Amino acid sequence: MTDVYLTFSSFYSCGWNYHFQVTANSVSNQLQERVGLTMPPGLRVFPAAAATLRLPPFTAVYGQNAICSFLRGNSHSTVSLNAIPCCFDATSSLSCRTPQRRMNSSSSPRPEEEQPKGPNEDQLPHVSIKAAQTGRIVGGKCDGNASGSPELEQGTPVDEILRRDKDALKYAPKVMQEQMLGLKGSRSYSTSATLRRQGLSGSASTQDDPSIAIVANMIAQVSREVVERPPGLKFDMPTTRLPKTENMRRRYDPLVEQFTKLLMRHGKLSVAQKNMAFILDHLRTTPPPHLHPTRRLLSAPPAPQLPLNPVLYLTLIVDSVAPLLKIRQQKGIAGGGAALQIPLPLALRQRRRTAIKWILDSAAKRRDSKLAQRVANELVSVAEGKSGVWDRREQVHKIGVAGRSNLKSVTVGGR
Amino acid sequence: MASHFCYGCLLRLRQMPRVYSMLPGPLVTAPFHTTPPRPANPMARKSRSLEGPPKYRESKSARMRKRKPVERSRPPAVGERKALRKRIVLSNTNALEVPGMQDLSEETMLDSRLRGSVVGLPLPMLNQLLAVQAFKPTQGWSIFRRPGTVLRRETLEMGRLVNRIGEEKGKVFKKIITGVRGSGKSVYLLQAMAMGFLKNWIVVTVPEPQDLVIAHTAYGTLPGSNPVQYVQNAATAALLSRTAIANKEVLSGLHISQNHEGLKSLLQPNMTLEDLARLGVQTPSIAWPVFQALWAELAATEAAGNADIGKPFKPRPPMLVTVDGLSHWMTNSRYRSAEYEPIHAHDLVFVNHFLSLLQPTTSKPTLPNGGLLLYATSASNNPTIYSFDIALKQIIASQNGIDPSSPDFPRLDPYAKIDERVLNLFNNHARSTETGEFEVRSLGGLTTDEARGLLEHFACSGLLREKVTEELVGEKWSLAGGGIIGEMERIARRLRAIV
Repeated sequence: MTDVYLTFSSFYSCGWNYHFQVTANSVSNQLQERVGLTMPPGLRVFPAAAATLRLPPFTAVYGQNAICSFLRGNSHSTVSLNAIPCCFDATSSLSCRTPQRRMNSSSSPRPEEEQPKGPNEDQLPHVSIKAAQTGRIVGGKCDGNASGSPELEQGTPVDEILRRDKDALKYAPKVMQEQMLGLKGSRSYSTSATLRRQGLSGSASTQDDPSIAIVANMIAQVSREVVERPPGLKFDMPTTRLPKTENMRRRYDPLVEQFTKLLMRHGKLSVAQKNMAFILDHLRTTPPPHLHPTRRLLSAPPAPQLPLNPVLYLTLIVDSVAPLLKIRQQKGIAGGGAALQIPLPLALRQRRRTAIKWILDSAAKRRDSKLAQRVANELVSVAEGKSGVWDRREQVHKIGVAGRSNLKSVTVGGR
Repeated sequence: MASHFCYGCLLRLRQMPRVYSMLPGPLVTAPFHTTPPRPANPMARKSRSLEGPPKYRESKSARMRKRKPVERSRPPAVGERKALRKRIVLSNTNALEVPGMQDLSEETMLDSRLRGSVVGLPLPMLNQLLAVQAFKPTQGWSIFRRPGTVLRRETLEMGRLVNRIGEEKGKVFKKIITGVRGSGKSVYLLQAMAMGFLKNWIVVTVPEPQDLVIAHTAYGTLPGSNPVQYVQNAATAALLSRTAIANKEVLSGLHISQNHEGLKSLLQPNMTLEDLARLGVQTPSIAWPVFQALWAELAATEAAGNADIGKPFKPRPPMLVTVDGLSHWMTNSRYRSAEYEPIHAHDLVFVNHFLSLLQPTTSKPTLPNGGLLLYATSASNNPTIYSFDIALKQIIASQNGIDPSSPDFPRLDPYAKIDERVLNLFNNHARSTETGEFEVRSLGGLTTDEARGLLEHFACSGLLREKVTEELVGEKWSLAGGGIIGEMERIARRLRAIV
């Protein structure tokens, strides 16, 4: 265990480049001290680092970078859905072995990541201190120009030295030679955690135990049955999975369902569904909205086309007024009983929920006789930019911008 | 220091201000204190602690402050909610115009090549249809650009029937329309009305039979009736109004040709039938005699000999009579007699008049000028009446050729409560084996071809955002319980989310 670079990039660090680096000679000590992680030997630090979380293609979330750019003080209203390619990638935000990888940077394919590696297999090639000492004993000057001498001051990786110095390559350790030649495979010595894991799960050590063999047999049989094609099929089963909404329990559009549930009072879901049907019909039949020049809907089709797709219309209305963040009143930091206003990012569902709550609140102040009518009228006025919900959103965002500096006092490692 | 006053006579005593005696407490100045004494504020309230003497007539429990009720805006005006509920919208300007959509006409209603396609109701006719309350708020007219109906098999059959009635003088067909909920019974009646208007028939409708028996309109005894019958003047006036507005063109071309004894003083010799109907609308107290007079005029085949008529007699057109929701008329009404007994619906003259049209009368034809009687049941708002159900079953059985003596013929449940008047109404039909003029017609689902036409109409209107394929049609048809049109409409208008 020598040097490990850890990059802790999260929402906060994304905005201000607080890349939290731990350069640890002994990982266990330093990590325990500063991050609060314990790392048993032989376990990978973040085993799920390679896995990514997939979100549905239509993500009305702006994504992490949108929030960041907003917090940096950019104009938020111009952020369009299409402009943001990235979704929340929860696991890759905490990544080892790529120091200071930016979330916004375009991700080039990294084939070496395909294979899972142990924690110390992929250190940065570095110049060892021992080599420097040897050089000093030999009497050569450590200026990097002399062939075979390590370059300590510049911190040049060994690769580069070996690449330009053929002699050094010849006398380099076998491991390094293999590395330079690009050979892959098992090392001759067993420091690899992968090897040890393989040894644990391998069948060689377990062949003595008959019960394990029986279980293995059963597993093999079951897996063979799964692989086999069901009778009556000429070709393999189609690989495309059913859409999520083909399930009876989630057959409605997610936003429509969320809106319906928030519309529900006293647990009367079917009444809420009736109201929702009324609202969608109202959106479908009212004249198309006159869009506000500044309070625009998110990347909407032209207004005359909106009523023909009421679900999209509703989605756009809700997503357009959904706030990017909420303000948490943090007590006890500022002192003197004052509360700090800390902006917190919201997830998609949370953002929508807030927007729907606001819409329902302002709909309650309307004077139409029917609940569904009130909500429907409010939705149209949101679409036309006339509703007070927009003001509410702007206010929250304003406080969020003002409260950016308060983030320092609650961030780990902040000053 | 000398004293201020003389001790002997106390002469100057009154000259001193009497401050000391007016102070509330003893004013003893502490010798070491520099703070001036301050009397307590006599106006201060006493502390309200629990200490002190026991307080009677006061509750000692903690007072919960009542939440102030939220300020509510004014309640909606009287009738506003009902108007909203009953509102009928026939157009959605956001929906797309369907290209190549044909109108219902005298040709298209017979054209079997158009079967399964949606034909539009002619725009000038919409006012007439609105006047006879052919549209119901639960039907989905409001999402399309303009109202249209599917030409299904039953519709085309009816078109041929209407055509036949027009050709054969005096032919009458009577039908009771049944079917499951959403199977298109009311729209079937609507199509009949549209055809009637196309053919310049007289269209008389009872769109809500329930309204006549739930004691929501005024009623009174019919003078000189034995057994006592009851007349509903307001409802009759509304019927006359519907008829007069919808059939204005036809009625204004026809003139009085009969003697009407009761109305002699009010009638002029060259009065049109429209004026006659308006007479009843304006004075609801004579609405029933006016309706009888109008009916007699419409049923006339020639002018009465002794009547003084200003205009020559014109032959009367055939009539279409529709009633939507027949079951409500097959039981006791909510009205009460003077003895506070429930009044049977058949004792209401209005109801009785329309039910008597169903009776086969050999001596006098029901509609001498021919016509069509369509009486539909309702499946969503339907009282369960055993006698009516079994009567319909018996009629259907005899229609299917089952002999009344055979064991398959539906029998009366000996323990059930039977309404004899209802059974007698349909008895003759149930026992008669020959079918033809009277029929119980059950509406089912659309065929897949008709369902495809309906779905294509949705897609062309921009409401269904999927490609209409064989697979989609089959799926929706199955989901709609085998093409039940009401369900098809609900499924097609619901946007399917695919995420």
